[in-house]
Amino acid sequence: MNSAVPLITLKGVTKVYERGKSRVAALDGIDLALPERGMTAIVGPSGSGKSSLLHIMGAMDRPSAGTVSVAGQNLNSLPEAALTPFRRSTIGFVFQSFNLVPNLSALENVMLPLEFAGLGAEQRRERAHRLLSRVGLPERASHRPNELSGGEQQRVAIARAIANDPRLVLADEPTGNLDSATGQMIFRLLKEIAQDRTVIVVTHAKDLSATADRVINIKDGRVENGVRSDN
Amino acid sequence: MNPVYFGLRNLTRGRGRFATVVALLGIAFFLLLVTQAIRGAVEGYTTQLKQTVDNSLQVRARGSMGHVNMVGNDFILPQALLDKVRALPNVARVEPYLLGMSPTTGHNFAMHVGVVPGDTFRLESHGEAGSPRIIAGRGLTAADSGKDVGVIGQRYAAIVGITAENLDRATLTIDLTRTHPVIFALDRPKRTIRIVGIYASGYVFGDTQLFMPLDTFRDIYGVKEGISWLFVRATSSDKVAELERNLRNLFGETADVIAPTAAAEFARETTGAVSMLSTLGAVLAAALAAIVTFFVMLLVVRQRTREIGTLKAIGSGNRYVITAFFTEAVLLSLAGAIAGALLFIAVGAPVAEQVFAIGVTPFLDPQYRDTLAPTLSFASQLNPAAIATLVIAGTVVALVGSAVGILRIIRLSPLEAMRHE
Repeated sequence: MNSAVPLITLKGVTKVYERGKSRVAALDGIDLALPERGMTAIVGPSGSGKSSLLHIMGAMDRPSAGTVSVAGQNLNSLPEAALTPFRRSTIGFVFQSFNLVPNLSALENVMLPLEFAGLGAEQRRERAHRLLSRVGLPERASHRPNELSGGEQQRVAIARAIANDPRLVLADEPTGNLDSATGQMIFRLLKEIAQDRTVIVVTHAKDLSATADRVINIKDGRVENGVRSDN
Repeated sequence: MNPVYFGLRNLTRGRGRFATVVALLGIAFFLLLVTQAIRGAVEGYTTQLKQTVDNSLQVRARGSMGHVNMVGNDFILPQALLDKVRALPNVARVEPYLLGMSPTTGHNFAMHVGVVPGDTFRLESHGEAGSPRIIAGRGLTAADSGKDVGVIGQRYAAIVGITAENLDRATLTIDLTRTHPVIFALDRPKRTIRIVGIYASGYVFGDTQLFMPLDTFRDIYGVKEGISWLFVRATSSDKVAELERNLRNLFGETADVIAPTAAAEFARETTGAVSMLSTLGAVLAAALAAIVTFFVMLLVVRQRTREIGTLKAIGSGNRYVITAFFTEAVLLSLAGAIAGALLFIAVGAPVAEQVFAIGVTPFLDPQYRDTLAPTLSFASQLNPAAIATLVIAGTVVALVGSAVGILRIIRLSPLEAMRHE
């Protein structure tokens, strides 16, 4: 992959929510280019537009104006039906509340995206075991989410997010429901998986965002003071 | 994970709710089976009626009261007419009978009936009540033609000292030189016939008859030809009227043709009314099951919005989620159907009887209100038709009940997963 070509390019992206007569601009002309690999933290106050930006980059929402390109694919031109396979192959998601399926084991949760990608049962099982080992939970494979700690659940969710080896992982407040120590451990894990893919994390935790390779400050729907980059 | 298996796993996520819903659906499916049992009982009764008299017309020599007059044969029907009747259109079966009073010196008398072995045993003066029940021995078979054998009513058997225990050596001697005071005697030789079976009809005169092969009867009574009583069965109930006209034209003034209006009326009105009521009941029961499924599955979608959104976000297509969801609905519905079936096996028949008494009887014609219910046989067994009804109804209920839930799933955006954060 050519790291000179951005993985994500946003040009003049605007997102406007209309409720009755009121009109709220969640994003206001965002221009952004994020390279392949590395961790990017999106920070900003509540209601600043962080999550809206993440949704648009994750092909879960469309901008009101502007263009979005992810992994060489112009999302504006992609029909609705093509978004699901695009997400399946290109993007992994990590949620604040983990969003594991409660009646499935950790292993089965990790196997789900592999099932959606059409892998055979043996391949799915073998790969899911490897992923759980990678996040340090090989012995917790048969446990259900309610038998795991918050940190363990988030590690399972991270294993699930990278199951199909996506080029982009989006994490929305991944440490929001975790204590400080566990949050740091999750951030380290995200940082580790960012070595061979792009990880974008929306977070309020300034100490954690400081460890990211890049930080995007969002305020009132705009990128504030440019993008801080360690590269 | 296969979506069908995923749906199966989802089924028991809330065990308390699962048990409650299965119980509710079970009641609905139980009611469905009860309505079908009522329908089955009435239709079974109608079928029985149709097999015996529904489509059958009686032909009796006019003025004979159906009895054979052994002296001049004035009042019996000519034998030649039998072939003409058989040649009429829409005739399914022709059953000729010869009847004669039994010889006796006392005031009591019995009725002797000659039938073609294999034909229905019809009880004279209660012709509508065919096929009395054999309680010992056997009926007549084709192999009995021309033989000196007979099947006797239980009261007649008691008079002549025949019991189930001595049936293997039971005989009855017919001496036509003896006679009832008001009936002619016949100068015919005595004849001893072997009794091979005893029947019960449920009423006194019906139990005082003796059935023997028609050929044997002719030989004993010296009646070479002629018919005293004829049953003509039409190919279907809607051909009865036409056949009645043809028979009247054929017999003219020589015979009375009696159409089975009462039975036809029963089939047309009572069976039709019960079928309509039971169909309505079945539709209401299925609707109740569908409503329960509808609310449960809607609740499921509402409770699992974040989960469904997550599945879509991580790459699941609608097909996977819908298959899992529909599987859950079908299995839930079928679990309810099984619960209903078990309840039906346990208490279906008495409940069907009560439902019939409360829900159907008041709508019946007055003449059937008191008499029909005790006659019906309500079954608690699950026959293949009932099982098929359950499976089809269960699937349709799941399909209808989950339709709105499925629509919501299709419309649900993966963004919901994030918004529920």
